[in-house]
Amino acid sequence: MPADFNWAIGGEAGDGIDSTGKIFAQALSRAGRHVFTSKDFASRIRGGYTAYKVRTSVDQVQSVVDRLDVLIALTPRTIDENLDELHEGSVIVYDGERTTMQGVEIPEGMVGLDVPLQSIAEEKGGAIMRNVVALGAACAVADFPIEHLDSSLEKRFGGKGQAIVDNNKEAARAGRDYVHENYDHEFDYDLETTDNDYVLLNGDEAIGMGALAAGCRFYAGYPITPATDVMEYLTGRIEQYGGHVVQAEDELAAINLALGGARAGARAMTATSGPGIDLMTETFGLIATSETPLVIVDVMRSGPSTGMPTKQEQGDLNQMVYGGHGEIPRFTLAPTTVAECFHKTVEAFNLAEKYQTPVYLASDLAMAVTEQTFAPEEFDMDAVEIDRGKVVDDDTIGEWQNEKEQFKPHALTDDGVSPRSFPGTSGGAHMSTGLEHDELGRRTEDTDMRVEQVDKRNRKVETAQEREPWAYREFGDTDSGNLVISWGSNEGAMVEAIDFLEEEGIDVHFISVPYIFPRPDLSEVIEDADDVIVVECNNTGQFADILEHDALTRVKRVNKYNGVRFKADELAEDIKETLSQEITA
Amino acid sequence: MSAFSAIGEGKEIDRNDYTPGLEPQATWCPGCGDFGVLKALKGAAAELGKSPDEMLLVTGIGCSGKLNSYFESYGFHTIHGRSLPVARAAKLANPGVEVVAAGGDGDGYGIGGNHFMHTARENHNMTYIVFNNEIFGLTKGQTSPTSPKGHKSKTQPHGSAKQPLRPLSMSLNSGASYIARTAAVNPNQAKDIIVEAMEHDGFSHVDFLTQCPTWNKDARQYVPYIDIQDSDDYDFDNTDRREAAEMMHETEDALHEGEVLTGRYYVDSDRPSYQQEKRNIGEMPEEPLAERYFDDSYEWERSYDNFLDKHK
Ligand SMILES: Cc1ncc(C[n+]2csc(CCOP(=O)(O)OP(=O)(O)O)c2C)c(N)n1
Ligand code: SF4
Ligand SMILES: [Mg+2]
Repeated sequence: MPADFNWAIGGEAGDGIDSTGKIFAQALSRAGRHVFTSKDFASRIRGGYTAYKVRTSVDQVQSVVDRLDVLIALTPRTIDENLDELHEGSVIVYDGERTTMQGVEIPEGMVGLDVPLQSIAEEKGGAIMRNVVALGAACAVADFPIEHLDSSLEKRFGGKGQAIVDNNKEAARAGRDYVHENYDHEFDYDLETTDNDYVLLNGDEAIGMGALAAGCRFYAGYPITPATDVMEYLTGRIEQYGGHVVQAEDELAAINLALGGARAGARAMTATSGPGIDLMTETFGLIATSETPLVIVDVMRSGPSTGMPTKQEQGDLNQMVYGGHGEIPRFTLAPTTVAECFHKTVEAFNLAEKYQTPVYLASDLAMAVTEQTFAPEEFDMDAVEIDRGKVVDDDTIGEWQNEKEQFKPHALTDDGVSPRSFPGTSGGAHMSTGLEHDELGRRTEDTDMRVEQVDKRNRKVETAQEREPWAYREFGDTDSGNLVISWGSNEGAMVEAIDFLEEEGIDVHFISVPYIFPRPDLSEVIEDADDVIVVECNNTGQFADILEHDALTRVKRVNKYNGVRFKADELAEDIKETLSQEITA
Repeated sequence: MSAFSAIGEGKEIDRNDYTPGLEPQATWCPGCGDFGVLKALKGAAAELGKSPDEMLLVTGIGCSGKLNSYFESYGFHTIHGRSLPVARAAKLANPGVEVVAAGGDGDGYGIGGNHFMHTARENHNMTYIVFNNEIFGLTKGQTSPTSPKGHKSKTQPHGSAKQPLRPLSMSLNSGASYIARTAAVNPNQAKDIIVEAMEHDGFSHVDFLTQCPTWNKDARQYVPYIDIQDSDDYDFDNTDRREAAEMMHETEDALHEGEVLTGRYYVDSDRPSYQQEKRNIGEMPEEPLAERYFDDSYEWERSYDNFLDKHK
């Protein structure tokens, strides 16, 4: 177990909870400590309880736990909301002079630090600094050198002038001093510092960073919690690399804009959450049949409908794997950590372009609202490779023209992958359409060509299945018969859960899967295990269903997809033939 | 190495160069107004010397959406109502390409209406041709957003109870900076208007009256037509928003009384395009972004400082 310290500030939305929490988190990360943050919030901008929680350790922390050591409570409700997490010896910092906090009861066994936050702040230049006074008080409790707050305060308030920065620094020190002078309690905490300098970022930002590193230069989106940070990260940055961000009128436009950008030659992306994915699904089939590479990020939240917009859920897996009418080849990736959000985004772009297929990147609210520290080396920019696949230019276009010098955007190839030419390339003019088409992109209802094109599109997925690693991540005791499988953001919590279980003498083999489609073949590991548990943040176990489906080998298939219905005599023939076949996976 | 040598090449172009090797014969019904759009577009593109390789024609779904099957260029046949966002993004990513979007009245004013409003509002530098036959052609004759009140169809057997949408007025109110109406029966004016629309720096909207003899016999053939710029009966300043608005209103009313007015209704050459506005505030690259990928000397400029500064 890491010697972790758990801290929170809570109050009303609009009380500056977020920015105060962030200042503390940044200070810790600059002091060489690892940080994992989380937020409790209601989806209102003002009013309603909200809290920012920080878990910190000198070792990497990957999850939240149900334990709070120090709580800054700006409202009585903050204490109530966190009763389960507070424990014997927990410290609660509050301002007893505040009308709502007068007579507040500190639960048995806990230490209440009544600090006149507002009065001290006013003395130092303004009531608005009361949260900073509280930060100072918390530093005293945690024995965390106050100097480490300074650079975060400079960063936060630098734009407002040196005087404001100085006032805040003094306010923090005054908070610390008040505790030292008025409480001679021995606190057990000692936040050790190291020489490491970490970066602090959330999942959305890691996705934005991955997109930039991967050469994404066109982004279109429509704001929605919890995906908006992707757009906000890219805005103002992508321009420095010659790119452009468009705020669309709705998600229908957003995905079609991204599609237009991709067809015109850019690496393009859009990001949204469940309600937006519903709208975008309309265009999904067109992206796939026109064989346009596109990365679509779904930062999932609780559904259905508007659901619980600020709460966690991994409920869109079926939508991403099966959504859209007809049969649509696609890839679905699900990064398992904040750092992996970066790496999987890069991978998503390469897969999209190498196989000219839409790629879903499934992230979720838990990763989007979590800020986590990493060593900068985790994001090795030099290791990022950009593979644009079979894009033709003026020199290579001739290889892909027919005898009439017509370009073949949907050429039938062995690996299923055809060439791509962008508008402006000489000799590349061609049609592309959501209608079924021939190699030249002209619409057709020819039964043979239909079958050939369907097969060709699916062949790309088969090719990818062979060529790409689709690796999973393993933890715990790989020899254990207790197999736990999860996908997406549950990895961190599960990795730490292994330690808790170990303490109770229970060993587990944990497999964390970042690929939903295609995915690693787990049927053997599942077969060999005594018990198999699939962990996911949803009600029905969508990934569990998929894994069970993979393990099923009883069913043979008769399929027809050339546009003509089954005919009785032909069907009888098919059945007869299929009865004599061995089952293929 | 470049991938965009066709852009601005200034080739000698003949209108027949836009006839595709495959499927040269359009399959619209005999007498369909859609032929008029195809002809006018070929004439306009040839006049401007745009080669098929430097044009992108983005269409929606409908009889009208088949346009790019019969026009040799880069073509993208999207889905019902979504041609505009695809087209305007392509222009942003690859600005040297001549981008034209086209589709039906149902496609552009109905299911895609929101995109129409916003593409006009943002004044993207592109041309949008709406084949307005006042009917759903492809799905066999249902009432469309521009069908006149009282128009009978299988879905409105007692006659439409709805007022038709006013395409020109909607365009003006939304923010288009070039607005014209032409008709398939008026090929020269149609070609000239498309030339102007393509040359205009901003969102050009052409409401193109295309008769559908198969499903909309009521709409006659949009004859006789009057060119408001040629006629002495109409004197207005099409650079003046108020006068334009009045003329549009009159034109929309007149159509349902059997009088077909056409011409240039609004031209605002001063309003900067979306591209220009964004460039002015530093949010649009000077260099076309699609081209950079082919620039061998282009460094991917992946530096921590740029990516991570905010996070330290
Ligand atoms: C989402 C969706 N809904 C419905 C349709 C069926 N549909 C195809 S074209 C069309 C309307 C065509 O009318 P219009 O846009 O005016 O084009 P026209 O055929 O008259 O040129 C409809 C309803 C469709 N293709 N997609
Ligand atoms: S149905 Fe009408 S619009 Fe469609 S091709 Fe025939 S005449 Fe033209
Ligand atoms: Mg129509």
